[in-house]
Amino acid sequence: MKLPRLLSIPLLTAILLGLPVVWAWPAGLPLWRSLGIVLGWAGCGLLLASLLLMLRESWLAERLGGLERMYAWHHVLGTLAYLLLLAHPLALAVDNLAESPALAWALVSPLTQGWPLWFGWLGLLCLMLGMVASFSRRLPYPLWRGLHALLAVAILFGCLHLWLLGLGPSFFFMLLLSLLFLGWRFLRIDSSLAARPYLVSQVQRVAADIVEIALRPLGMPITARPGQFVLVGFGDGDTFRGCGECHPYTICAVDPEGHLRISIKALGDCTRHLQTVEIGVPVGVQGPFGDFLLDRPPLPQFWLAGGIGLTPFLAVLRDERLMQPTQLFYFYRRPEDGAYVEELRTLAARQPSLTLHVHCGDFNAATLAGLLPDSAALAGRIAFLCGPPGLLGSTAEILGQRGMAPASIHFECFDFR
Amino acid sequence: MMRKLFLLATVLFWAVVLGLWLLARSAPMSEPPLPLAEKTYALTEVARHGAENDCWMAIDGQVYDLTGYLPEHPSKPSIILPWCGREASDAYRTKTKGRAHSPAADQLLPAYRIGRLLAE
Repeated sequence: MKLPRLLSIPLLTAILLGLPVVWAWPAGLPLWRSLGIVLGWAGCGLLLASLLLMLRESWLAERLGGLERMYAWHHVLGTLAYLLLLAHPLALAVDNLAESPALAWALVSPLTQGWPLWFGWLGLLCLMLGMVASFSRRLPYPLWRGLHALLAVAILFGCLHLWLLGLGPSFFFMLLLSLLFLGWRFLRIDSSLAARPYLVSQVQRVAADIVEIALRPLGMPITARPGQFVLVGFGDGDTFRGCGECHPYTICAVDPEGHLRISIKALGDCTRHLQTVEIGVPVGVQGPFGDFLLDRPPLPQFWLAGGIGLTPFLAVLRDERLMQPTQLFYFYRRPEDGAYVEELRTLAARQPSLTLHVHCGDFNAATLAGLLPDSAALAGRIAFLCGPPGLLGSTAEILGQRGMAPASIHFECFDFR
Repeated sequence: MMRKLFLLATVLFWAVVLGLWLLARSAPMSEPPLPLAEKTYALTEVARHGAENDCWMAIDGQVYDLTGYLPEHPSKPSIILPWCGREASDAYRTKTKGRAHSPAADQLLPAYRIGRLLAE
């Protein structure tokens, strides 16, 4: 990754963190009170940076090093902000502790406080509940999303806390940026104003739980390259009803008229429902995102795909003639899960640089180790892996043991929760 | 790792809040000692202490020397400083668009009381 992209998120974070902290830097106050003030403002700054990173705009993602990187930072900064904001009232209470334990308790007790502190407490509790949802993997997606929205409510309560404390200028700074980021997210992303309109033009079943869907642009198509991914929300058709959710899908083909093809595997309630999507359903497409397989170095390649993780490799094979010797290992669990096997064999017959290895079954680290190339065959290659986390983890470990440097191993893993 | 950090911090937070509550219960706040002979001050005397480094206020018939508290007041100095040396009962009761100060502020105030306001 180039230096400006690498530094972009740390720099933005430093600005959003530094501005309020410098503005409110305490002078001449006792240590714990100063610490409490700085912790509060630093938490606010990190929260703003975390908000900025949830804006799924392709131009922003390109400048900040990709959507996955943005979401990874979003999670880390959100958690750090939470830690600092938890410590903020406690440090202020500790400041009162020397005078009297009753005064220290009075500072945090909702029973002895008025609206300014009640809003502070409400903000903190919403933050806590929203974070519980963020870290819960078992919640159904709609419930998860609803609880995650509590984080936005927490920010508004935080602004009210500042306002009622009489901190006018800082309140306007927080409110303006919070409303800008939240409004942007709601209007452009959640209300799909940033999405381009498409229509489902073809639906083809390619495996037991996988359909390939062709999307025809109704206006200006997005400019996507094979292997990138898009965020797609399906609307209502004659009999089909969309699930009101937007999910990432890898583009498995782009044709010159701007038609896109995506493959959808039934992995949850919404994607299972999408197996029955019909021709003519309107679709909103945001993106494109990602640079997996784009601008590959001119080195021999090792590709590994697990299940639906085949799609970025398939998109490249459909689009271009490979110039470098490339090994493609494709793993899937059951015979009925083997999507595109015949097409891959046809493509391999036309691509002299491609060596195809297709394996069906249950795989663990030991069986994988027996199937993957040895150190000599991997020497000088660069690896691209896409599939379930377990498969990717085991493969990366084996490749490392066989002498491949971590910098030579590239992953594609969607994890936007 | 972030999940573990979140869980640990949340548990620690509630443990400290609980600890503060238990401490407060076991050591209730002592009333500030009242001066043996209570002093009375006229508003003109209060007005002589209208600076940041010497700030008295008259609130509800009592006189307070808030010089030591000023740096700890949550709002910016520009909000509280204009009330130094003045009768500030209304300001105390109508903070932030008509809302009164919190009971916690009521608890703090006696610690700074220096006497009674002389009726005029």
